[in-house]
Amino acid sequence: MVVMWIFMILAWRLISKVLRRFGRWTLMVPVAGMGAALFGLNVWTAATILLALLLAVLLALVLVGWRQAGSSGLLPVTMLGAGICGLWAAASMVRSWGPAGFAVFNAFIVRGQVATPRPAPPAAHQGPVILRAASQAPPNVPRVIVEPRGFINFAFSNRPGNAIAETFARGTARSQVVIIGHSLWWGRLLILGSLLLLALGLWLSPRAVADLRALIARVAPRLDRWTREGNWGILLVPVTSFGLTIFGVRPWTIAAIAAAIVITIRWPRLAADLVPLVLVVFAAYGFMLVSRWVPGPRVLATPQPTRFGAIPVDSAQTSLLAGVEASALLAFGAWLFPRTIGAHARAKADSGHEVELAGRVQRLTETRGHALDAAAAELRRIERDLHDGAQTRLVALGMNLRALERMLPASPEAARALAAEAIETSARALSDLRLLVRGIYPPVLADRGLGHAVRALALDTALPVELDIDLPGRLTAPVESACYFAVAEAFANAVKHSSARRIHLRIEHADDLLRIEVADDGVGGADPDLGTGLRGVERRLGTFDGILAVSSPPGGPTMIAMEVPCRLLSPKTSSCSGTG
Amino acid sequence: MQVVVAEDLFLLRDGLTRLLSAHGFQIAAAVDTAPRLLRALLEHRPDVAVVDVRMPPGFADDGLQAALEARRQVPGLPVLLLSQYVEELYAREMLADQMGGVGYLLKDRVFTDNQFVDAIRTVAGGGTVLDPEVVTKLVGRRSHDGPIARLSVREREVLELMAEGRSNTAIAQQLFVTEKAVSKHTTSIFTKLGLAASEDDNRRVLAVLAYLNS
Repeated sequence: MVVMWIFMILAWRLISKVLRRFGRWTLMVPVAGMGAALFGLNVWTAATILLALLLAVLLALVLVGWRQAGSSGLLPVTMLGAGICGLWAAASMVRSWGPAGFAVFNAFIVRGQVATPRPAPPAAHQGPVILRAASQAPPNVPRVIVEPRGFINFAFSNRPGNAIAETFARGTARSQVVIIGHSLWWGRLLILGSLLLLALGLWLSPRAVADLRALIARVAPRLDRWTREGNWGILLVPVTSFGLTIFGVRPWTIAAIAAAIVITIRWPRLAADLVPLVLVVFAAYGFMLVSRWVPGPRVLATPQPTRFGAIPVDSAQTSLLAGVEASALLAFGAWLFPRTIGAHARAKADSGHEVELAGRVQRLTETRGHALDAAAAELRRIERDLHDGAQTRLVALGMNLRALERMLPASPEAARALAAEAIETSARALSDLRLLVRGIYPPVLADRGLGHAVRALALDTALPVELDIDLPGRLTAPVESACYFAVAEAFANAVKHSSARRIHLRIEHADDLLRIEVADDGVGGADPDLGTGLRGVERRLGTFDGILAVSSPPGGPTMIAMEVPCRLLSPKTSSCSGTG
Repeated sequence: MQVVVAEDLFLLRDGLTRLLSAHGFQIAAAVDTAPRLLRALLEHRPDVAVVDVRMPPGFADDGLQAALEARRQVPGLPVLLLSQYVEELYAREMLADQMGGVGYLLKDRVFTDNQFVDAIRTVAGGGTVLDPEVVTKLVGRRSHDGPIARLSVREREVLELMAEGRSNTAIAQQLFVTEKAVSKHTTSIFTKLGLAASEDDNRRVLAVLAYLNS
């Protein structure tokens, strides 16, 4: 007993150490091994052990996220099942022990006493006989050789384990039972192991449930995605397998199924798209078969009997059935079409739209940044101009007037000179302010809009400007301003760099698009990347989704085209044209 | 001399009326919006109107539009425009009817009241007065071709001063030449610009127009 206790403690320590070191999933292997102990070492139990090993290694190495939840979720179930089975087996044994007590187990000890040749099956026996030991058995009692492969066989197997149950049920000893390969220790170990398994299973169960919950939470989205993307794709394998019933087992049908499996797992979308196509191909083949059996001048000889699906096609009637089957396949394929290929095409179109939207967001973010930068720079410029210009002059004016006040009684002549100076200063301050205002928002632009403003601009330009303006109304103030300064920049460039003799300006508004073209007959070679001017114009227009294009080959002519999507505010007649 | 003053800012309107009264003008009306200006002009038919370009209700070029409308109904009604800025475009629109009696000055010029009052009288007399700023801008360019290119440097100077509304006497003083010499220059200018000998004032306006259109 003490030895048992020590053994149990040691076992528990070992188990807990292994559990801590490798995770609970490692118990899969010994548990699978217990299966072998229970059912004997056969193909299935060996496969289970191998599978457990494989699973353990796989889970440990590859699916790090799954390993805990995956194996430990199965583990308690396996353990509880194994424990119950073991106890059941043990209980059967105990029941069997009833009249004979340990005597039966003594019989187990008689291992290796394989009787040769094998005796007849137990049905042929005249009655069971309990033997204390094979050696003690009366020689005239027929022997039943029990050769269990595992504990379970011992209790349950029809042949020859049932002989024992039968033996004890009858309570009389007529035949000799020889059980080979087990001892009493195996029975005790069975109970012990079963209890251990049950305890472990119970201990693991709540943890497994928690793990499973975590697993489901983690896997559910993936699973959801997979089912959404490839919900029809899972049909590819069965549909391809249908080819087996039509074309028989051929290397290429098997290859097709293998390919279908790979595609289903790797490219679920493609699998879904292939399902209706494969269906249509099969249906077409079916119709082709049917057409051979349709009576008509084309049919000269009776065609070879074939198979289509489950239907043997060997007469006009059966070919009709095959036709129905092909129609069903075709209908199913047609039904799947919008749900697979159509849906994916739509999804692709949607994602194209999304890409477009993303690009638009990107562009808006950029142009907004540019607009804010430009506004900030403009404010700084205005601040500087005010500070250096009008503000300074007003300070000077104030000082002059103060001096004037002091001088007036003493020397009126000097005062007069100062007054003249003050008047001059105030005029300059006004002039500065005028310039500033013109730079911020030209008065004609405010008064009359873009058409007249560029006309005024043309008048101010040193080169003759041909105007062709078709603008039947006002635009929003920001657009007007941006376009005005764009034209001003283009004019300034033409005057400064192009050595042009004349400028042609065209402004038209149609279909909510304002188009401005500035052309000159100069030397060309204008490059937006060289100066900041045109780039600034481009950025400014970009704020309104406008674009700027420059065509200026060396040698000229230069043509600057701008387009800004915008609406007219008030359709009133303010179009003007002429030569400035 | 009857004057209608149109200016929406009270301080300036008040200053203008006082200035003009001080120089012997009679203020027929002092108005603060464009519609009132038009009504006053048509009602009083003043000898000259002093009009601010930017006025209510639109706070755009309402004053100019009212003045143009009044001149359409009363051809040649003398109007002197005042503004914080001068636009050649507006000057052309005023001059377009070739009737004369047009002035266009920066508000700054009110400070130098003698010049201002002279300008008012010139306009009232059917002359043309353009602000030196407009004229200066014109000088800066348009010298390469057209009839203006045929003028001598001196003739161009005289034309500039003519555009500013100076009389021959004033031009003579400015250029330190005799009035006779100026008269000779003006005749030469008219000839070179192809202006037929007619009433002198109108020819002056046409010369200025030719200058602007060059």
